[in-house]
Amino acid sequence: MKKKKLILIGNGMAGINCIEEILKNNPNMFDITVFGSEPHFNYNRIMLSTVLQGGTKVEDITLHNRAWYDSNGIKLYTGETVVKVDPDKKVIRTDKDREVSYDKLIFATGSVPFVLPIPGADKEGVVSFRTIEDCQKMINISKNHKKAIVIGGGLLGLEAARGLLNLGMEVDVVHIANYLMERQLDQTAAKMLQQELEKQGMNFLLEKETEEIIGDSRVEGLRFKDGSIVSADAVVMAVGVRPNVQMAKDSGLETNRAIVVNDYLQTSIPDIYAVGECVEHRGMVYGLVKPLYEQGRILAKHICGIEENGYQGSTLSTQLKISGVDVFSVGQFHADETSKTITQYDELAGIYKKIVLKEDKVIGSVMFGDTKAGNKLLDMISKQKVITDEEKMFVLQSSSQDSQVAAMEQTDLICNCNGVTKGTIIEACQSQELTTAEEVKKCTKASSACGGCKPLVTDLLAYMQSEDFDEVIEKETLCGCTTLTDEEIVTEMQLRSLHSINEVMHELKWRTEDGCPTCRPALQYYLGMIYPEYETKQESLFINERMNATRQADGTYSLTPQMYGGLTNAEELRKVADVVEKYQIPNVAITSEQRLHLTGVRKEDLESIWKDLDLPLSSTYGNTVQNIKTCIGETVCKCDKHDALRLAVQIEKKTDYLTTPYRVKMGISSCMHNGAGSTTKDIGIIQFDRGWEVYVGGSSGRNARTGQLLCVAETEQEVYEIIIGFIQYYRETAKYAERSWEWIDRINLLHIREVLFDSELRQQLIEALESDSYQNKQVLLSNK
Amino acid sequence: MTEMLLRYFRKRQQQVETEKVYDTQCPFCSMQCKMQLIEQSTVTRKTYKTVGKDNPTSEGRLCIKGLNAHQHAVHNDRIKHPLLKVNGEFVRISWDEAINLIKEKFTEIQTEHGNNALSVYGSATITNEEAYLLGKFARVALGTRYIDYNGRLCMSAAASAAAQTFGMDRGFTNTIQEIPHSRCLILAGTNVAECQPTIMPYFEKAKENGSFIIAIDPRETATTKMADLHLKVKPGMDAALTNGLLKVILEENLIDEQFIAERVNGFNEVREYVASLDLEEISEQTGVPLDQIKKAATVFGREESGMIFTARGIEQQTDGSASVRNFLNILLATGKIGKEYSGYGAVTGQGNGQGAREHGQKADQLPGYRSIENEEHRNYIADVWGIREQDLPRKGVSAFEMIQKIDEGEIKGMFLMCSNPVVSNPSAEFVKKALEKLDFFVAVDMFISESARLADLILPATSYLETPGTMTNVEGRVTLREASFPIRGEAKHDWQIICDVAEALGKGEYFAFSSPEEIFNELRVATRGGIADYSGITYDRLREEKGILWPCPDQDHPGTKRLFGQEFAHADGKAKMVVVQSEPEIPKEKPTEEFPLYLTTGRVMSHYLTGVQTRKSSTLAAREFESYMEIHPSTAEKFHIKDNTLVKIESKRGSIVVRSKWSQTIRKDTVFVPFHWADSQNVNRLVSKKLDPTCRMPGFKVSAVKISPIAN
Repeated sequence: MKKKKLILIGNGMAGINCIEEILKNNPNMFDITVFGSEPHFNYNRIMLSTVLQGGTKVEDITLHNRAWYDSNGIKLYTGETVVKVDPDKKVIRTDKDREVSYDKLIFATGSVPFVLPIPGADKEGVVSFRTIEDCQKMINISKNHKKAIVIGGGLLGLEAARGLLNLGMEVDVVHIANYLMERQLDQTAAKMLQQELEKQGMNFLLEKETEEIIGDSRVEGLRFKDGSIVSADAVVMAVGVRPNVQMAKDSGLETNRAIVVNDYLQTSIPDIYAVGECVEHRGMVYGLVKPLYEQGRILAKHICGIEENGYQGSTLSTQLKISGVDVFSVGQFHADETSKTITQYDELAGIYKKIVLKEDKVIGSVMFGDTKAGNKLLDMISKQKVITDEEKMFVLQSSSQDSQVAAMEQTDLICNCNGVTKGTIIEACQSQELTTAEEVKKCTKASSACGGCKPLVTDLLAYMQSEDFDEVIEKETLCGCTTLTDEEIVTEMQLRSLHSINEVMHELKWRTEDGCPTCRPALQYYLGMIYPEYETKQESLFINERMNATRQADGTYSLTPQMYGGLTNAEELRKVADVVEKYQIPNVAITSEQRLHLTGVRKEDLESIWKDLDLPLSSTYGNTVQNIKTCIGETVCKCDKHDALRLAVQIEKKTDYLTTPYRVKMGISSCMHNGAGSTTKDIGIIQFDRGWEVYVGGSSGRNARTGQLLCVAETEQEVYEIIIGFIQYYRETAKYAERSWEWIDRINLLHIREVLFDSELRQQLIEALESDSYQNKQVLLSNK
Repeated sequence: MTEMLLRYFRKRQQQVETEKVYDTQCPFCSMQCKMQLIEQSTVTRKTYKTVGKDNPTSEGRLCIKGLNAHQHAVHNDRIKHPLLKVNGEFVRISWDEAINLIKEKFTEIQTEHGNNALSVYGSATITNEEAYLLGKFARVALGTRYIDYNGRLCMSAAASAAAQTFGMDRGFTNTIQEIPHSRCLILAGTNVAECQPTIMPYFEKAKENGSFIIAIDPRETATTKMADLHLKVKPGMDAALTNGLLKVILEENLIDEQFIAERVNGFNEVREYVASLDLEEISEQTGVPLDQIKKAATVFGREESGMIFTARGIEQQTDGSASVRNFLNILLATGKIGKEYSGYGAVTGQGNGQGAREHGQKADQLPGYRSIENEEHRNYIADVWGIREQDLPRKGVSAFEMIQKIDEGEIKGMFLMCSNPVVSNPSAEFVKKALEKLDFFVAVDMFISESARLADLILPATSYLETPGTMTNVEGRVTLREASFPIRGEAKHDWQIICDVAEALGKGEYFAFSSPEEIFNELRVATRGGIADYSGITYDRLREEKGILWPCPDQDHPGTKRLFGQEFAHADGKAKMVVVQSEPEIPKEKPTEEFPLYLTTGRVMSHYLTGVQTRKSSTLAAREFESYMEIHPSTAEKFHIKDNTLVKIESKRGSIVVRSKWSQTIRKDTVFVPFHWADSQNVNRLVSKKLDPTCRMPGFKVSAVKISPIAN
């Protein structure tokens, strides 16, 4: 299909943005021609004040360069003005007598500065503030002259004045009203603004109406209606703009204050649209970028034949772009008898906030000093939202409060459905540069299910993008000897089939020759987990269950008769007493796990002691499941302790000699009296009438922690399976030396429950533990 | 399916070998989210994952329940064969033996005690076809008047209120898609964030659009957190609260006079009654500050559109029906119904809470929302069923009253389908004792639920993954749930079981169905001309149009998106406002010296109803594995209850023991306990036997209780 011809009159921001939207919708629909009166590519007019203020160079504000026009096949005529449109013939004519026909035409002629109709307005040294040329003129003037006057104490005038100050000139601002920016501010805010700007060096002449610009060919000063005179080398006229619509009017388009359009930006003549400052929609003419871009988006949809609800008008807010000055204004901010006002005025802090409401809805606001709530207010006005007490608080608060997400721990869940933690999201955002909730959803699955946590995800993103955010997820290496994390090392060890500590250190490019006290035992543990048949160097002696001992620092050995569940009897005690006596064992102690601990045994006596004792000995040295504390010795209650004991014995037998990432302490209490201190153990059980409470992640160490309730098991079989499954899952997923509570915090209690509650996975873990235990015993036996 | 985070490859999963995909709908709430279960098989095991499927209601979203809904269905505890209780133990028997036993026992009971000695207890979780067939089974195969269902404990208050006020009870008067555009939304006694999570984005969108959201709930929930204004009402005082709202609306003249004049009866009586009330007193009664009542009423009155949603918080009360009517009074007074973005929604709880209440499971009802006491309706249905009108039983009694009749010995046998009455009924211990008195008790279930435990015979039923059929969702949209998952063991579809029993009882000719679609086609005829008219809906249309909102009286009819645009469903076309007393005729329990606290109940996100299914699901149980009592810390301190400790809660009816959970956001005079657990954690043990005089709903949401720590 042949492309239609589209002409855009006006090369400014609104028009070109609209072209961009059209290209987005359909890049091949139109042959596009653009006419611009200014001799530039499309540039960012809003940034002119920053150019003037010295923050930016003229070159930096170009939005689209030649390459953009070329690559999109757009014919651009700069410095050429359309002077006539013939809607009947569908042809335009330019000031260079060029005639071009169109199928669709867009007016984006913008505004022209309003020049006061006073004598002398045409003198040299009088400039407007609208274009790059105007800026350049001011910059040139500032090079040779000292004193400037800005006529107009509105937004534009003040920004120009600030720019001239930056250019090193003395500046008077002349304003006809008795306070500044009277269309955007009330008197209180205006006075605060004036004081601030005076502090910055501006001088104000209020309630002055200029009668004449005096001087010969060049400006020398102003004379006011009251007869007073002020001298100046330059005059910037910034008293406002008028929609640039004369040509449209001449060509027969319906105009009022500007070109009249409907909700689809169509003018009174078919196939002619208008967008931007030259447009009047429902009686409103807009001069800010946001509504103009919104218009452009809707025009683009309509012209491309895409269904669209139409432009509904915009709520306008004002923010002054002068550094160090925070001014905000929106809506109807003058109170009347139908409205109510909330005012906050803090002269000390230089903060003023006024919110005008009608029937609980914000209709306008003026703020000075703290304008953080500006967007919120703008949003509430445009949505006509009834204000809540919380919103009132938010608006009036001087600084934004800590959000809920900021207070959350990194291990807390954001998405309950998919079990995604705050830390996971932060990590994903940081490592993959995610910025939207949609991206987070794709990458982490957070909010992908019911969508209930989407507000939380959005809050988290906002928090991460705010200044308050200082949480970092650091890659934690195993130790200083390597740049790899624990997880990476374990993966590499398996992928590359590394079978010894030296091999690991060599292959994975360890920085040190022999590793360190952190990495060596860790690697040893991982080797044992990866290769259950792996032989480790034992500190302790182990021949079999009845023949083992642990080496002490002084070279002597210690032994612990097993006494499952902390139970013993006369025969055992007699044997122990005999041995202690016979071999002069210096220390006999009762451990906190209710075992007898014989220390200071000479190596040469071991063989005969083993023989004399002939009792099972427990070997709980190092990182293994420790002897289980029970409440059998507890005297405060008379509850039946039978089941608890039986469970303790059963578990001890199952987990004997099994290595774990860190010592696992256990307690089993037969009643609510918690005689075994179950709530401060890595695994703690309390029996009660509904079954067994299982607590995990407790610690009675220096930093005591109470365990969390993992579950309530109804039967003895169930509690046994849960505990064995828990131990094995800890063994298989924890880092070496990671305490049970650290591990739980890291992988999340909920996840552990999900695994252990799944009977199939639980069985898989139990079988794995049995197999590891068997292998382990084989290794111990071969070690002798 | 949970995947383990194993670090060591030797334990990691093998390659997936085959993959199968099953279409279905989540069974766990009225949203009826469409989804697909993907079964992946490796050499050693099968794993499952669930993905959402686009549809007009949930738009492809799923919540934690839907994502894991397969876990109970593939659970090893599923019953795979008929089980007969012999000496207190369940033993496997064949289907033939089971059906023969039913025939023998049912015949024996009816011969000796008459037809009405048998009862049928149904469910709002079964399909429309099955609900329809169960109603027909009771009336035609058993010839008993005693049939009712668990929806009585769930939807009956909202249903009766809408039927009385509007003349028609369809869950939402508007489509769900209108919610985001409504300017003010009242969520009364409904915790959608946990009960119907996938509806939340509609409310969140509304909020983004500037809608003002008002929540009414005694405690803070995930739903009330979204609200702009939360009225933390005293449990059970909703009637008074709504009178307060009405009074402000009238005083501020925020009524729609033209609407009232043209379309409403009974306005003046309401105006007069409300005028006699005192706002200060209402604030006192309800515990809601006066300025909050005023704000809620003025915002709702002033905004150009508004919707009200109610659920069990308002409805499970002994004045539930009246309280809902008072919310409807607000809609009528402000003219916010029957137009764009304005209307009412009863947020159904159960999977087929809407459909199951339309087709004759209710004691007084016949298919198509017809009345069993209306001669014209009786004749029509008798005709469709091919029986004589005089053989059609008259109305029976409500679910709980049926249990009372069992206790009194009038009812001797029960056929229970897909429900767990010993956990879900009030005074649960009484219910248990009553059911133990039955001469013969048949339970159709997927598991040996707490109720099935008491049965003489358990028949294994298929799950939602296995049995296709139509479900009518929260909006009143009829949807077709596809299902083709292989059946476990010898389980049968509910409808097949009904047909088999009917056949054995010699009524096979009325139950000669070989597919759900055949049953649906009879249901269409039975509903023709009724209020809930399905006659224009076909399986093909449901597949093509992704659901149709009833009424749909003929095959060219597109379904009805918005109700009451022109007129209401009463004969004169007008809606009926009615005076609702702030203090109801059946007085509610109030705290006393002995029982000083209010107890209220509700759901948690990860469980459904009595938990028989969700407690079997590892992922869901992992989130909440036991019940708890939410209590304000200052109340807890007063009663010496530490956080996370076991507490005994007692009412006049009984006691339970659950764990305490401190919450800063609950009312200080109220404790909350969820209702998904049985036995010593079953909160319904504490609830009184009193029923709503209109709809026979028990007052689950208010009891007076005392609490004490379980001593160490």
